[in-house]
Amino acid sequence: MSDSEEERVQPLDRRVLEALVCPRTQTVLSYDAARQELVSRAAGLAFPIRNGIPIMLIDEARRLD
Amino acid sequence: MSDADSKTTHFGARTVREEEKAGLVHGVFSSVANRYDVMNDVMSMGIHRLWKDAMMDWLAPRDGMRSLDVAGGTGDIAFRILKRAPGASVTVLDLTEDMLIEGQRRAEAESFADRLDWVVGDAMALPFEANSFDTYTISFGIRNVTRVQDALDEAYRVLKPGGRLVVLEFSQLPSRPLQKAYDLYSFNVIPRMGQAIANDRDSYQYLVESIRNFPDQDSFAGMIRQAGFGQVKYRNLSMGIAALHSGWKI
Repeated sequence: MSDSEEERVQPLDRRVLEALVCPRTQTVLSYDAARQELVSRAAGLAFPIRNGIPIMLIDEARRLD
Repeated sequence: MSDADSKTTHFGARTVREEEKAGLVHGVFSSVANRYDVMNDVMSMGIHRLWKDAMMDWLAPRDGMRSLDVAGGTGDIAFRILKRAPGASVTVLDLTEDMLIEGQRRAEAESFADRLDWVVGDAMALPFEANSFDTYTISFGIRNVTRVQDALDEAYRVLKPGGRLVVLEFSQLPSRPLQKAYDLYSFNVIPRMGQAIANDRDSYQYLVESIRNFPDQDSFAGMIRQAGFGQVKYRNLSMGIAALHSGWKI
């Protein structure tokens, strides 16, 4: 396989996405496929997805402006 | 002074500020992720496999059940649930990404792929709606959580009414001489074995101390009741070196 680490983006399982909520506000998340992030508008946070694994830690989330 | 009101927690025998514990625990488990099973073998003298079987016997997984396994990094408990109930589904949550990646690499992860989800998350702030799961399991993980009561409260929240919590954790031996003997073994032998086997004395030292600092069976049962659970019971394993606790969200 010639895929480099960075290029290997695994699609997030739909079932996983539906089960997750924001760990801070417990409200729905939206999936940004291009950025590979789960966005909580209520908390103003974007949680990264790496290797198909959602990283639902507030410390690891990107702050939305 | 801002330090005056900052809370402290136990990191092994060292008292550390709460904010630091998660980072320290994370460091321990990142450094031992690959050798996690070896570590469990050392810590329990190989008996953890039997304890996990006892956990499954008490949990009695069934098809259709939706399970959450917290601190379940390498998938060990999830695979056991799915072997007993192939029609169940399990979400594995862990604070450490490396542990989940290790779990995903295992052969069982492939064969159960459509029944398994992997999520990095914090036991004290679960990324799930209330009333989502039929069972919540945590095996040798609860003592590493910064605020154990918060994790139990969260377990209660995400369980469905009628859902069940089952915790496997190292515990305290009921007799003082036995506890003394086990302390001698664990404080003197285990860190050295950790050094010899995994070249990582500090991680094993932490694990030994964190076991000693965890509440005894009755105190921990009280914390589970405090979270709202009913029918709280425990069973000692290997005379109390470990214990299983169970509670129901009634």
